Amino acid sequence: MTAGSSRSTAPAGGATPAMQRFLHNLRAVPRQFRASLLRSGAPTTDRSRSSFVFGNLFLHLHAVRVHRWTLRWATTWGLGIMALSAFLLTLITGILLMFYYKPYPAVAYDSIKDIHFVVPTGQFMRNIHRWAAQVMVVAVILHMARVFFTAAYRAPREYNWVIGMALLVVTLGLSFTGYLLPWDQLAYWAITIGANIAQSPREVTDALGLTAFFDPGGLQRFILLGSDDIGEEALIRFYLLHVMILPLALAALVGVHFWRIRKDGGMAKPADADERVGAPDVQTYPVFTEAPTRTYHLAAIVRGRTPAVGRGPERTLPAMPHLFYAELGVFMLTVLVCLVLSLVSDAPLKELANPAVPENPAKAPWYFLGLQELVAYSAFMGGMGIPMIVILGLLLIPYLDRETDGTGDWFGGPGGLSLVLRSVVVGLVAVLAIEAFAIRFGWIREWFPHVPQIVITLVNPGTVLTAIYAAYSVWLVRRYDSTRAGALGLFTCFLCGFLVLTIVGTHFRGPNWDFFWSPSQWPVH
Amino acid sequence: MNTLRANKWLLLASSVGTLVLLGVAAYRENVSREWRRLQRDYAAKLPPAQQAAFTVQLRQVYNPALHASDRCISCHVGMAAGETGIKGDRVFGSHPDVVHDPLQYGCVVCHGGQGRATEQADAHGTAPFWPEPMLTRTASVAGCGACHTHVAVPKLDELRHGQALVERNDCLACHGLDNRGGTLRPGGAPGVQAPDLSRVGAKGYTRDWYAHHMRERAAASGGPWRTSMGEISPQDQRLINVFLDSRVGAPRLVDAKAVFHTLGCRGCHKIGGVGGDDGPDLSREGEKDPARLDYTHVPGDHTLANWLGQHFRAPGAVAPGSLMPVLGLSEEQINALVLYLQSLRRSSYPEAYWPKDRVLAQRFGAREFAADGATLYGTFCAACHGLRGEGMRYPGMAAFPAIGNPDFLAVASDRFISATVQHGRPGRRMPAWGAAEGGLRPAEVEAVVAHVRGFGGVAPPAESEPARWVRGNADDGQRLYAANCASCHGPQGEGKEGPQLHNQVLLTHATDRYLVETVRRGRRGTSMPGFANPGSAHRQLADAEIEAIVTFLRTWEVKG
Repeated sequence: MTAGSSRSTAPAGGATPAMQRFLHNLRAVPRQFRASLLRSGAPTTDRSRSSFVFGNLFLHLHAVRVHRWTLRWATTWGLGIMALSAFLLTLITGILLMFYYKPYPAVAYDSIKDIHFVVPTGQFMRNIHRWAAQVMVVAVILHMARVFFTAAYRAPREYNWVIGMALLVVTLGLSFTGYLLPWDQLAYWAITIGANIAQSPREVTDALGLTAFFDPGGLQRFILLGSDDIGEEALIRFYLLHVMILPLALAALVGVHFWRIRKDGGMAKPADADERVGAPDVQTYPVFTEAPTRTYHLAAIVRGRTPAVGRGPERTLPAMPHLFYAELGVFMLTVLVCLVLSLVSDAPLKELANPAVPENPAKAPWYFLGLQELVAYSAFMGGMGIPMIVILGLLLIPYLDRETDGTGDWFGGPGGLSLVLRSVVVGLVAVLAIEAFAIRFGWIREWFPHVPQIVITLVNPGTVLTAIYAAYSVWLVRRYDSTRAGALGLFTCFLCGFLVLTIVGTHFRGPNWDFFWSPSQWPVH
Repeated sequence: MNTLRANKWLLLASSVGTLVLLGVAAYRENVSREWRRLQRDYAAKLPPAQQAAFTVQLRQVYNPALHASDRCISCHVGMAAGETGIKGDRVFGSHPDVVHDPLQYGCVVCHGGQGRATEQADAHGTAPFWPEPMLTRTASVAGCGACHTHVAVPKLDELRHGQALVERNDCLACHGLDNRGGTLRPGGAPGVQAPDLSRVGAKGYTRDWYAHHMRERAAASGGPWRTSMGEISPQDQRLINVFLDSRVGAPRLVDAKAVFHTLGCRGCHKIGGVGGDDGPDLSREGEKDPARLDYTHVPGDHTLANWLGQHFRAPGAVAPGSLMPVLGLSEEQINALVLYLQSLRRSSYPEAYWPKDRVLAQRFGAREFAADGATLYGTFCAACHGLRGEGMRYPGMAAFPAIGNPDFLAVASDRFISATVQHGRPGRRMPAWGAAEGGLRPAEVEAVVAHVRGFGGVAPPAESEPARWVRGNADDGQRLYAANCASCHGPQGEGKEGPQLHNQVLLTHATDRYLVETVRRGRRGTSMPGFANPGSAHRQLADAEIEAIVTFLRTWEVKG
């Protein structure tokens, strides 16, 4: 086109060429918009599927291709994505709740009532928030169990296991800080228990006579509450932790967690995963149909083995669509489960918090009730000692188990499923026996009323159970000549113990933490 | 099926399920909410012209000073601003004509319940975890007590007598009063429209109403002025005034409160800081959370009203360990007391909303009960000493003395009774009513004493001697005391079946003549014999011996 053509005068009664081009462009907007969105075009070829993934800000955390072993349902059961999906649900519903919730004791409870009764969809959003939080905690615990039982924590993935433990702690912290916000009797007294557990190092410093000079317990409680009692200071800092600090920490750790998955070579797989996953379907085209021009924008010399070195892509599939449909499927399933629960069951709200009227029994959130059961004997051991031992033990597992046999397989390693089943028996028998003994006969103070508390701190159902589990684990290490066997036994016992203690704390403990077979037997006030 | 297809099916099923559930949630939220349904029912009952103008929307009464965000009018739409009530409808009727505008005060401040709720069970407070359920329809007048904490009530029998006079003198022929009376005659014959008297106690009325009525009667030639008006004696006029002064729009509550002040409850219980310390403070009894009460021995509903009623019938069964005796009350009295207790709700509202009665009581110390001796006695003393001073005998408790006993009043001076009332009997059951903040003022003590004096129908003793005149031998007295008195009064005078003699208030304020005469004459109706005369169960004592005993008693007195 010459410079002059655009200025030619319009023929009388017809559109100018510029006008025609304008209209043509206007009609083409939807198509052009879509094309501008997908810079490499629709993901219909393997090359464009690759570009779709690594060219997208949000998606390029994923690998472009994933091994078919990873995509099997039985490999991961989608638990990690389920936890993330539940977190996203809590994030979205939480942001919506933030429009109406007021974090000051005088108005917090009433703002929750208003959300429940008059805010459009308020009841629904609050229910989803509560249920998604519960689903998240459950999913995180199950995900940890899955990673453990498939020995996916082994080198080079030890650090990712550590990040996962940090995520567990942050998840529990999010749930705990959120628990206080409704400012009802349930919230107030559950946090009273939590704060007093934070103060429990005094049990040790008191026994040593150090409290006047060195009081970490008191300091911890004061930092947690911002005051000597639970009031507006505590509410504000719990709110801040719950809506900003912990979610940001979680998001950062989740980012690192996914990044490490990439760098560690994707999900852990058995050494013979290629053979076991078999030949691909005829419809899938695992090889590039075009000569690759550039599959990766960055190249770096790295030490060690990368997933793609030495192997072709035959056993891998493009992340788009295979991985993304899996993730979306798990996400929507999580949404569905949370919606069903939300429509069926309301998030609880008891009376307004009343410092003069303690709940009896005052119970922590369910995931802490196993600990509270142990706290009933020794606040320090149950609240801090045993959790620290457990977390330390869990953190050490990948560094102590340097074996390679069975990585990627469920219950992989010496002993296998039969060892796990026997450990279930051992774990259940031990915890039920100790609980039955303590409930039926009492503990040391029944027979020695004046025994110093430090004795009970050191010898209580929690420590005895831990010792039994540890002894069993050591025995397994010797018997199978394998750290993995010991770890399998110990972790299984820990899960059984956690489950039984949580059930006892939830259902069988009533006022004054006395044992009752059923809540219908609880005495009246 | 390969994994991709499985995942696609999973995604499809979950997504469809989610959409369905979101649809369900949207339907629940926007169509099937209880209050929406009710408002649609209401609209259907409106005349067509108003139907079009009516919109289904959430409504509330908002008054931050009273902490009110009351959404009751989302279901009870007939009471909302700008809406018309549907006559006779239980839900959609308009609010009865009451003193305070519900659209300004909200609903919960009077009725209780959960104002912020929009579901019936939650709003009426019968759902779990709401500590203040709504008052029942018959008890709704108890809600007045939330702000009107010190409604002044007259003496019960004057109140009832005044009410009887109003009815007997045909005042209701022309005046409306507490939803009765007024001028409508059968057949629509016209009559005289006189002012409604239901709230004249609060609003005021002309004090010379009688003179006005008589003038009108003299001027009238026929009609109700002639037929319904007659002479009323000055005493009856006073009682009618007492009755009218109590008309504040809550007749049943005023009556219930008057009943309360005849049963001596404040002898053990404090309300608003006035009363005794033996029982729990009742100032907020109406706010008790029914879910926290023990219903083990309470048949019937798990409501506060039922618990209170059963408690009156059998306190020791309902509240184990209770010191409260079975009072033997009639059902009518129990119903009145339960209503009154439900009105004890002491809520905290800004002073701008404090009613006159509360200001008068809390700022200026006005009493909420009548100031005459009979009412004061009925308020503080009657539960232990009996309404006529006859004393009370409750099962499981030592008998309370009959202070109306003529033998006692014949020897006890007014000064002695006054001192006993003020200082009590330390260490025994009689509290010191003059000392503590919750007790009686000097004028009130004198009124009570005068009332007690009236029980016996005997004149007080002439106190012509010095208070201390006995000159006996204390050692003889000790010997005689041990032989004759210790069996009932205790070896150290600590009191057993007989009163405590080793009591500083008694010894300080009793004259020697009182002690001597009591021993000489005894006290009929009690176990105390008259030792001046012989008897089968006691030895006769000479005057010198009696004086010796009194001398010995005086050695117990701590002087100064």
